[in-house]
Amino acid sequence: MIKVMIAKPGLDGHDRGAKVVAKALRDAGMEVIYTGIRQTPEQIAQSAVDEDVDVLGISILSGAHMKLVPKILELLKKMGSNMPVFVGGIIPKEDAKRLKEIGVVEVYGPGTPTSEIAEQVRKFVEHSNA
Amino acid sequence: MSNTRMREDEFLEGIKSHDRRSLAKMLSLCEKDPETANVLLDKLEKKTSHVVGITGSPGVGKSTLISAILDKMNGKNVGVIVVDPSSPFTGGALLGDRVRMQSHATNEKFFIRSFANRGALGGLSPSIYEACDTFESFGMDNVIIETVGVGQSEIDVSNIADTVIVVLSPDNGDEIQMMKAGLMEIADLFVINKSDNPRSQILLSRLRAMTAGSKEVPIYLTNAVTSEGVERLVRALDSRFFQILSDGTLSQKRRKRLLNHVKSMIRRELDRLVQSFEIDGISPKEMRDHIIEELCRKKRL
Ligand SMILES: Nc1nc2c(ncn2[C@@H]2O[C@H](COP(=O)(O)OP(=O)(O)O)[C@@H](O)[C@H]2O)c(=O)[nH]1
Ligand SMILES: [Mg+2]
Repeated sequence: MIKVMIAKPGLDGHDRGAKVVAKALRDAGMEVIYTGIRQTPEQIAQSAVDEDVDVLGISILSGAHMKLVPKILELLKKMGSNMPVFVGGIIPKEDAKRLKEIGVVEVYGPGTPTSEIAEQVRKFVEHSNA
Repeated sequence: MSNTRMREDEFLEGIKSHDRRSLAKMLSLCEKDPETANVLLDKLEKKTSHVVGITGSPGVGKSTLISAILDKMNGKNVGVIVVDPSSPFTGGALLGDRVRMQSHATNEKFFIRSFANRGALGGLSPSIYEACDTFESFGMDNVIIETVGVGQSEIDVSNIADTVIVVLSPDNGDEIQMMKAGLMEIADLFVINKSDNPRSQILLSRLRAMTAGSKEVPIYLTNAVTSEGVERLVRALDSRFFQILSDGTLSQKRRKRLLNHVKSMIRRELDRLVQSFEIDGISPKEMRDHIIEELCRKKRL
């Protein structure tokens, strides 16, 4: 059984996208924990570690991804976790590249088919277990 | 298992030294391999926490109420188990109770863990007994369990909880009418939540009328959003724990819980055996004999 957390940091309150992904992953047979909106990096990292999820998905539309995502990665590392983290949202190409350099496994723009995300999440988990 | 694995002795040491990450991993072990979890739990000392089950229809405000209760639990160590249903078709689940409790996510005294019921008989998680024991081994003062709120989960929670709170809310249609058989019997406390809704007074008088004559079950009115009435509820929980501890009720409850824990372990073995059996050309009676034989053989191994 794959456990995923979908988290929504930052100040924007639009969680339609996050919920669509959460539901799609559930329909793909995964257990999906949703954190709700406006979460701090501390809340997200601690929740993901406490729930011992296999994968963490972060949805960001606010534009603050270059601040929030590295912070979450840093906190996870500090807590001794190396869980795969993916990001969804409106992320410029060069930022996406940078995020992947610092350890994000994938960045999804709007309109990515949810079936593709589900399939890749399975792969992330397989890899991290290998 | 996600990321780094832990060895058994690391688990034991981790739990004993109150390491949060070990607790997280141990709870995963309860889900993935409950038999091993039981072996480890045997080696750990257990504190007697007050185990409180919170049940009631979806939407009455159980998760919000737990968050408000945590606000009033200053200084105490509390483990929270929230259970949501798995889809019987895909096995997937959306676990959303945490959303209401995220203000406590970084509080080092509290630990919230979401479980899918994975089709468990009764609607709680199949590993609920192990998870609860784990929290007690970790030294929690309280363990709070939120049920799915549909099916048999209400009745099931009374098999594990020392105290059952049945939550009702006035905006849920005719709650009293909808109240399922058995719910009256298992309630140690009633909470009418959403007291900001004027119809909560009508619900209160109807519930009073309904419970009149049977055993005395206190009713508390709360507004889980503003925390109105929650402090009284928390105080009532504390004094109830003291009471059941001293009048012998608690040891009865613990005996019942132990028996149910054992039954759930045997059921797990049985399910595995029954599923692995070739059923072609064999009568139910013969199959039963085979399975019992197999169970005994396994014990001797
Ligand atoms: N007006 C009002 N709304 C409440 C109260 N308690 C919870 N709610 C709301 O009821 C909805 C369902 O709450 P939730 O805690 O998720 O219910 P659960 O399904 O029983 O866990 C949420 O929108 C809450 O904000 C209350 O006391 N008053
Ligand atoms: Mg809930």
